[in-house]
Amino acid sequence: MAQSSAVQFDAEHHDVGLSVWPFTVGMAVLLVMLGFMSAFQWKLPMVGMFVGGAGVVGILIGLFGWISQVYAHKFEAGLSKVAIIIFILSEAALFGGLFSGYLYNMFPAPVWPPANTPAGVPPLGLALILSVVLLSSSATMQVAENRLEKGDIGGFKLWLSVTMVLGLLFLAGQASEWTKLIGEGFTVSTNAYGTFFYTVTGFHGSHVLVGFVLMLFILLLALGNKINKQRQTVVKACGYYWHFVDGIWLLVLSLIYVLPYRNF
Amino acid sequence: MEQAKGFSLKEWIFATDHKKIAVLYLITSLTVFVVGTLLAAVIKLSHWSPAMRELIGAKFYNVSFTIHGAGMVLFWMIPVFLGFFANLLIPLMIGARDVAFPRLNALSYWAFAGATILAVLALVLPGRLDVGWTGYPPYSLVTDANISLYVFIVHLLGISALASAVNFITTVITMRAPGMTWGRLNLAVWGLLGSFVIQLFGIPVLAGAVTLLLFDKYLGTNFYNASMGGAPVLYQHLFWFYAHPAVYVIALPAFGITSELISTFSRKKIFGYTSMVIAICLITFLGFDVWIHHLYTKGVVAWANVIQSFLTIIIGVPTGIKVFNWVATMHKGSIEFRAPMLYAVGFIILFVIGGMTGIANGLLGTDVHFHDTYWVVAHFHTVLSMSMTLLAFGGIYFWFPKFTGRMYNESLAKTIFWLLLIGSLIAWMPLYKAGLEGMPRRYWQIPAQFQEIFKITAVGGFMLILGFVLTLYNFLASAIAGQKATANPWGAKSLEWTLPSPVPSYNFKTIPVITGGPYEYGNPEEKLEGQPAAEAV
Repeated sequence: MAQSSAVQFDAEHHDVGLSVWPFTVGMAVLLVMLGFMSAFQWKLPMVGMFVGGAGVVGILIGLFGWISQVYAHKFEAGLSKVAIIIFILSEAALFGGLFSGYLYNMFPAPVWPPANTPAGVPPLGLALILSVVLLSSSATMQVAENRLEKGDIGGFKLWLSVTMVLGLLFLAGQASEWTKLIGEGFTVSTNAYGTFFYTVTGFHGSHVLVGFVLMLFILLLALGNKINKQRQTVVKACGYYWHFVDGIWLLVLSLIYVLPYRNF
Repeated sequence: MEQAKGFSLKEWIFATDHKKIAVLYLITSLTVFVVGTLLAAVIKLSHWSPAMRELIGAKFYNVSFTIHGAGMVLFWMIPVFLGFFANLLIPLMIGARDVAFPRLNALSYWAFAGATILAVLALVLPGRLDVGWTGYPPYSLVTDANISLYVFIVHLLGISALASAVNFITTVITMRAPGMTWGRLNLAVWGLLGSFVIQLFGIPVLAGAVTLLLFDKYLGTNFYNASMGGAPVLYQHLFWFYAHPAVYVIALPAFGITSELISTFSRKKIFGYTSMVIAICLITFLGFDVWIHHLYTKGVVAWANVIQSFLTIIIGVPTGIKVFNWVATMHKGSIEFRAPMLYAVGFIILFVIGGMTGIANGLLGTDVHFHDTYWVVAHFHTVLSMSMTLLAFGGIYFWFPKFTGRMYNESLAKTIFWLLLIGSLIAWMPLYKAGLEGMPRRYWQIPAQFQEIFKITAVGGFMLILGFVLTLYNFLASAIAGQKATANPWGAKSLEWTLPSPVPSYNFKTIPVITGGPYEYGNPEEKLEGQPAAEAV
């Protein structure tokens, strides 16, 4: 292990030189935070929108420049499998914290969800349909990876697009569910269940969104002929991440949607 | 050579070289350290006499200890070890040319720098934080202080810490030089690795906890709002799930660095290398199962209290192993009391005092009495703050040649050591007594019977402040005009000392093949094969 990586490091590699992108991204993140602060703490929503929007644009420009710089190298650098697994472990800890917080509130409660929750909440039927959508997207992602492994770039692009459509369907379903529930008067402020419902599904949904954006990047790279059998770690990394997000959904489903219907 | 070139701001801001990033971390964290020291001066001045207290006022006193605590823990102790020492040492000690993701490493620094900017804003902007470094609800939800600032500081630090953790764990797993087996890693690398594992699992939970606080405060959620079915104590659970292991995040690298210093200056192989590694792993693991000892008085179910009390005491075992191994390493060694060695021994002294009092905190029965008194303040200032700061100074002196190419002022460093050690004892030992007698922490008002004790501790505090000023002078003056250092001024056997001082940007001209461990003192048969130090580059 150590030996082979040491050899890799001998050639042109060791020095990535100066890079403006880490600095750009770091400062742009700071701008987003200052934007939130302007809007919510200092009650200056217009300033907040402007500063925060500038930050978001800065992050996107920074990441784009960063990725271009990575792909300017001849050698394969960037996310390795080890790194993405380590990162996913920390994501698991984040969801672990949220889920334990949810259970911590649920167990001592005499009724769960609390009495002022509208009838029909949580909507189990839609959640089950969305589960099928999301889990099948895990399978299509796997097909896409297999196609890439075989060198079939066209098939890879096709199945990656199918995965993206399924991801988008899931997000759309989630959005319609939120709109409907908020219309029925079930909001984050209704009670502790509402708080956790929107936060947990929102956290999970944002991860689906990140996965979607990542796939969009990969699709663009593939259209530019930057992805091939030799340079596929970013695809592998995205695959691991996507399977993880889908796996977490099963926990969201059982804890947030199914558990409130328990009878004991 | 690099330093022949003039200074260029661009080369620092856009740097991806791990040694430059290390120096950036050190400069930033020392800057916050100065601010934290000034705030400590405010606290100690208000302890000096009732008149001074009136002058400073209760509100500013609250702000001072909040920013002092948060600043010192989050911007000095953690970054100096996981920012400065990790960046400087890990690639050099495993025989790599840089970390696995140099740009991500730069992002870690810039996220940290962003957090520092917010922390400085926290002192200037209206709505100054008065919630203590823990930010417990319900008070943090009702105060008019700018809680979003607190939350975003934690978020930026979290981004920084997670990026570093992923980066450095990947680096150690995949980029060790040929022959650098796990059993030949420096203990400093093992300690840092343990810390990064804790960061990896702990930081997301803390970031989650404060995000929920942000939602409660600004978006109308009910996580911590008891009247709507939320649970304020949930915050404390989530917070301490990271914030207790956070002390091991600081302590584990400190343990590792102590082993380096003790072994080098005793000219002996470290005693019980394997047990040292096992102890680090045990502390990493057990550190996550003891957070409830911060909540003994919060009405957690009794069995959980008992289990976690038991585990808290168990942590004394691996920690004790480390202390005994250091002493055993020194036993019959040919000890040379250069400044770094003095600081390491001073660390052990303060750490043992603080560690012993920690046992009393961990026991359920005694803790109910000690909880939130000055006993606890004295405990963590001896076991963590001052002992680890002493050690960080020792480590900075030890590796000073590697990142500046110069030597520090030895006699000044030794003088400062005595100032700091005696100052610490005067500043904290009397507070144990105040705490035992029931003086609560964080109170602005001090009852008349404790005034004498607090006046004495203030004297110790001022000694520490003088020591810090002199230390900063020593760092700065030596970095600019110190004597030029040779490649290996200590005769140390570890890999980084085979490189010239300062280390060139590519570290190793050819990747070394490792044939021995890092502590092969007095064993001419086993030595490291690397690039000879004298070779011109």
